[in-house]
Amino acid sequence: MALTEDRPLALPSGGSDDGYTPTGVFTRPTAETGVRSWFTTVDHKKIGIMYGAAAIFFLIIGGSEALLIRMQLWAPRGTLLSANLYNQVYTMHGTTMVFLVVMPIGAAFANYLIPLQIGARDVAFPRINAFSFWAFLFGGVFINSSWLLGGGADGGWFMYAPNSGVIFSPTHGIDFWNLGLIITGIASLTGAVNLIVTVLNMRAPGMTLMRMPIFTWMALVSQFLLLFAIPVLTSAQVLLMLDRGFHANFFNVSKGANPLLWEHLFWIFGHPEVYLMILPAFGLVSDILPTFARKPIFGYPFIVFSGIAIGFMGWGVWAHHMFVSGIGPISVTTFSLTTMFIAVPTGVKILNWTATMWGGKLKFSSPMLFSIGLVTMFTIGGLSGVMHSVAPMDSQQTDTYFIVAHFHYVLFGGAFFGFVGGFYFYWPKAFGYMLNESLGKANFWLMLLGFNLTFAPMHVLGLQGMSRRIYTYDPGYGFEFWNKVATIGAFTLASSIALFVFNIFYSRAKAKNLPPVGPDPWDARTIEWMIPSPTPAYNFDPIPTVTRVDDFWYRKYGETKDGKLVRIASTAEVAQQRTDGKGIHLPSPSYWPLVLAFGLPIAAYGLIFSLWLALVGAIIVVGAIYGWVMEPPDDPDKAHDDHGPDAHVSDGGDAAVPETVDAVKEVETVG
Amino acid sequence: MQRLPKIVRVLAVISFTLVVVLFAALIVNSFQNAGKPLTTLTPQGPSSESIQKLLVPVTSIAAVVFVGVLGAALLISWKFRERKDSDPDEFPEQVHGKTALEIGWTILPALILAGIAVGTVMTLINLNREEPNSINVQVAGQQWWWQYKYDVNNDGNFDGPEDITTATEMVIPAGRPIQVTTTSNDVIHSFWIPGLNGKRDAVPGLRSPLKLQADEPGIFRGQCTEFCGLSHANMRMLVRAVSTSDYDAWVKNQLKDHAADPADPTALAGKKVWQALCAQCHVINGINDVKMKETKPPLVSGVAPNLTHLMTRGTFAGSIFNLYEPVSSDGSPLPMGDVAAAGDPGAALTGGRVNTATVNRVTLEAWLRNAPALKPMYPQGGRGMPNLNLTEEQIDQLVAFLETLN
Repeated sequence: MALTEDRPLALPSGGSDDGYTPTGVFTRPTAETGVRSWFTTVDHKKIGIMYGAAAIFFLIIGGSEALLIRMQLWAPRGTLLSANLYNQVYTMHGTTMVFLVVMPIGAAFANYLIPLQIGARDVAFPRINAFSFWAFLFGGVFINSSWLLGGGADGGWFMYAPNSGVIFSPTHGIDFWNLGLIITGIASLTGAVNLIVTVLNMRAPGMTLMRMPIFTWMALVSQFLLLFAIPVLTSAQVLLMLDRGFHANFFNVSKGANPLLWEHLFWIFGHPEVYLMILPAFGLVSDILPTFARKPIFGYPFIVFSGIAIGFMGWGVWAHHMFVSGIGPISVTTFSLTTMFIAVPTGVKILNWTATMWGGKLKFSSPMLFSIGLVTMFTIGGLSGVMHSVAPMDSQQTDTYFIVAHFHYVLFGGAFFGFVGGFYFYWPKAFGYMLNESLGKANFWLMLLGFNLTFAPMHVLGLQGMSRRIYTYDPGYGFEFWNKVATIGAFTLASSIALFVFNIFYSRAKAKNLPPVGPDPWDARTIEWMIPSPTPAYNFDPIPTVTRVDDFWYRKYGETKDGKLVRIASTAEVAQQRTDGKGIHLPSPSYWPLVLAFGLPIAAYGLIFSLWLALVGAIIVVGAIYGWVMEPPDDPDKAHDDHGPDAHVSDGGDAAVPETVDAVKEVETVG
Repeated sequence: MQRLPKIVRVLAVISFTLVVVLFAALIVNSFQNAGKPLTTLTPQGPSSESIQKLLVPVTSIAAVVFVGVLGAALLISWKFRERKDSDPDEFPEQVHGKTALEIGWTILPALILAGIAVGTVMTLINLNREEPNSINVQVAGQQWWWQYKYDVNNDGNFDGPEDITTATEMVIPAGRPIQVTTTSNDVIHSFWIPGLNGKRDAVPGLRSPLKLQADEPGIFRGQCTEFCGLSHANMRMLVRAVSTSDYDAWVKNQLKDHAADPADPTALAGKKVWQALCAQCHVINGINDVKMKETKPPLVSGVAPNLTHLMTRGTFAGSIFNLYEPVSSDGSPLPMGDVAAAGDPGAALTGGRVNTATVNRVTLEAWLRNAPALKPMYPQGGRGMPNLNLTEEQIDQLVAFLETLN
């Protein structure tokens, strides 16, 4: 590899004692602990945790919006929300849950886990990683600031033209939505590039692609989907921005525009989006089920390739969102068939998970319960998805509550159950204490009940004719009963989320009196469990050499020829000890990602309110890029004593691999 | 493995039981469609019936698969649970996969789906086949009501002197195919009469086909299903399927222009008010012949429903209020009555006498008094009816005039 030349990629170490200030503004931050360290960190673990925390914050906002919707629909002719406010609330609920909750929770797990699962010290571009997070956070705050500045967007999360035009929605809500999602899109795109490069270039010696944990595989497929899907959305949004702000005519029907342009662009993004939200949860479950079944995942290559197949086929199904839009019978038939057959790789996954449990010795921990919850609840969403792929049936079901039921079974019953399972599973690894198991199980059963009470009745409401996105319904249509059940369910669901948040604090308080949790509390399989909990800043010391799938498991256990498992080493023998990490070369913190990301919402406010403010934002962005470029990726005063070859090759590493290790080290510094 | 606190075990049992009960109740309820005028599950026309023929087997297959997966998950969870007395050092057989099984459960779902695909394609062909002898109706969505234009003389033009322009309610003869063409005058709407067929979006600038046919005379409700802004929820449709003779009489009446001034002096005064205020947006053929204006509708609403034969309709204001009794199921005459029971114009439907005793005056007057208070609209942006600040006297005069529009 070209990156293994001797000369350091960073600027040469300077000998200055008085702090290095490349642009005369900031001294390089040095804090590694304390509140300030979180603002300047480039550590993928801290960034992952911040993604998760921000997503839970937005979950509370989006969940509150959901409760408002459900209270409005509790009875016919609800008067809690006006039509105008209801349209804003449901638009912002969908936008928040998709872009500011499910996607960032996926990003939280991907950031935290991918380097650990592939045996890397950090992601490929640590500062870009920090930038991705801050851009996401500021974009999310920017969108929600619309509530205080004239009201939220009111066109639905799909924001169909021409209803999104300035004639039909003259307030600034849609501008906030549009510009805010362009910012979070930048965040997703840079994050995707970063994680793809990380997976492809920074794996530990011996960690071939087909030895990677399945979460990393599914997250990788997700990042590829993001990489190609986000630019489509951003393109459409730039057209919308030009229409709304600068009198362009991309969606102006009286000037000859075809409003289906927006629908196509939105769903070419929108359908891969669905898969990129669900795949990380599939990955988590594929790692959790074998751990608690005490046997390997059934059909590793089939799980991996079905995930890749979903990634490819996901691009050929977008127009199933448009079966009734008038695209013509040939297109309808084509997309009907492609959509049906994407059920095949999805079905393969479900059957493989079931087969993984078959014959196992199942331990029903909280993560396991949530994983089984995903397998069963997602199956409902998958099957109603097959029903929609049948275009004539879809022509009755689309834009009714049946669809609302369907995608909540996919995104809540699928993605979110997987994520909560992942939280319970990885909590000790990230924070050094276990979440209380009894509360965890109560959490599961309450969530299962609330989830089904909320969304199962929507199937019947939809089939019996209740339209989506209506702020009111009349008595006499037979919608009353199940709407009441759904509202009760929504509050049950909210209480299960509250129980989860309570569990976090309760368990943390209790953990003070408990012995520290070891590296491997679940007797797990993949290499992130061989390092101390909570994960040290340097991740691995030394970097392990990987010899097979579930490498850590097979350091603990050997398999006889007839499939019998015998313990060959205790966890303590094969787990890594916490070291002082001295001499390990880590990327240094930086202010610039924060500053650069901060410039984006300023520029966006400027595009809405005053172009002078946009200029200020642009100056901040350009200045931050300048500062970023001039700042050496690593603090010149720190830790450059560690360029000796082979210093951290694992004990098991043989002579063939050290070059790779060296390469890995160097790539780390390119951020 | 430590034992769970009792309360968690009780919660698990309650939760599981409730979910099972819920699913059972939902399945039972999906067969109870009486009194649900928007249900998709009691088809009443050839198109919706052919969709139902697809729905039943596909849903059954989906149900079988779901019960299979759920049953397997529960069975496996029970059968292979870790027993309390099990040796912690004993491990299950380490199976990494079986290629034959994998190939099997890749091919099996593909075959089931291939079967569904055949049925789907055949139904699609059937739904898109053009029927001979159909009546051509152009349906245009507009914030937040529907306009219907009938090509009565079948010359391919919906705006000729021989054609009909009406609004809010669509009258069709039972048993005869209707070839609907959807379009829109502003944003995207979706035309949906679940009893007769699936929906079709009404997209500005596009014309999309949809077949409708009712087996029997009756009233078929619909609801706009593409989000179309502020009052999307209040944009409903009503299809009145009548006998062929009633339909012919209806057409004959609709083709008449408003002829003479009303004899009643109150109604005549109402006509003056109408010409001064309402005519800015509404049309009555023969008074303000704005058919030409209607052929080129501005893309922001500006054209309101044609009122030439207002009293032949049972509902008004986007079909959310009854123009005639029954007002609501409990007889309450207040605004926002129960429109699931649609108003009945009686003989007025075909141009007969308006039975003023059954007119829902309360709601009609409330509408004239302050329309945006009854239905959220955006009159300052040119979409929807403004509050015209009419006096009570003007309202009385207008109602008297409107009651002559049969």
